[in-house]
Amino acid sequence: MFEMGSQSDAVLVRRILAGQVDLYQVLVERYRAEFGRYATAMLGGDVDDAADALQEAFIRAYRSLASCREPEKFKAWLFRIVSNQCHNARRSRRDHVPLDRIEDPPDDSTQRQLEANEIGRTIQTALDDLTAEQREAFVLKHIEGYSYADMSTLLEVGEDALKMRVHRARDELQRRLEGLQ
Amino acid sequence: MREEQRLSPEAHSYLDGESAGGIGPEDRGAAQRFEQAIQAYASSLKRPDAAVDRAVMAAVRADARHARRQSVWRWLVSPHLFNVRPALVAAAAVALIVFGRVLIDVPGPGDRSPGAEAAAQTTILVRFELRAPDAHRVTLAGSFNEWSPDGVELARNAATGLWTATVPLKPGEHEYLFIIDGSQWIPDPNAHAQVDDGFGQANSVIVVGPRGVVRS
Repeated sequence: MFEMGSQSDAVLVRRILAGQVDLYQVLVERYRAEFGRYATAMLGGDVDDAADALQEAFIRAYRSLASCREPEKFKAWLFRIVSNQCHNARRSRRDHVPLDRIEDPPDDSTQRQLEANEIGRTIQTALDDLTAEQREAFVLKHIEGYSYADMSTLLEVGEDALKMRVHRARDELQRRLEGLQ
Repeated sequence: MREEQRLSPEAHSYLDGESAGGIGPEDRGAAQRFEQAIQAYASSLKRPDAAVDRAVMAAVRADARHARRQSVWRWLVSPHLFNVRPALVAAAAVALIVFGRVLIDVPGPGDRSPGAEAAAQTTILVRFELRAPDAHRVTLAGSFNEWSPDGVELARNAATGLWTATVPLKPGEHEYLFIIDGSQWIPDPNAHAQVDDGFGQANSVIVVGPRGVVRS
């Protein structure tokens, strides 16, 4: 018996298309972990909204799996679906971002906790005010820790353009963070 | 925006991981404070939990059941053309007679008669062939080996470009595909039946009777 978790995306996609639908769970687990914080950051820090968006994206991806012409690029293909779903979810959210959902950081000092919460809220608000492209690039770079090369593969956008988006996002966040002092 | 509220180009380079030596202490401090604030924020974000997986897989399995029912129904109600060789018809007739006898003697759940056990243990050696002169590796995946892409490796005849493997199969209907060079999944061009897998692609079908291949 071989380890399913070590199977490449392409092999899993082909086996799922050949009828082994239960293997889809391996891909769901793999990319829920990989894109989970991205979805949460893109949706105002709301993990419940992120769960709904990911769930919808995974189901949509399964239903159109046969249209994934290059299973070797499944990750980028799936990311486009997740990204679109997050953008749609943002548009459909009626209320403002529930900032109180941002988790309290582990800290034994009440004063430092308050400061950290304030910084977290400031960052989240600044992220929400960025353009969609800047927000996406910043989250991938600084929240998910992608390199520019990996971001370029995932988004099919040149590295220079991505750097520009990240730099502008940083400047805006820095401006907000400086305003706290 | 006031200029001092921007990060300097050196600080951006530092945050991009591009420079460590040429940056001054002030820019380095600004970049590090920025990095710490973002890291603290990132660590406060939660990932959705495994409830997502369960909900997705429930929907996926429901879809698959529905697709399977649709697929069987479409196959039953649509016309099919088969090329039939007389010798195969004769072999099929013999196999059907034998298979019919097996069906008549269908064992019950508790039936441990020697005939029932022998039928259950019967395997038929089936030879699979694919002409692929340009391939470097050909394997066979199917319902008989849990669709493992590395389960059965075909041997190549360099002179003819024909790849072959002989596989022991139990009587019944089996679906399969060839895999060329580990990535290209193709149906058997010589199979007499292909079935829709429910996702817009075709699997080849082979039917094995207790005395040999009934249809391939």
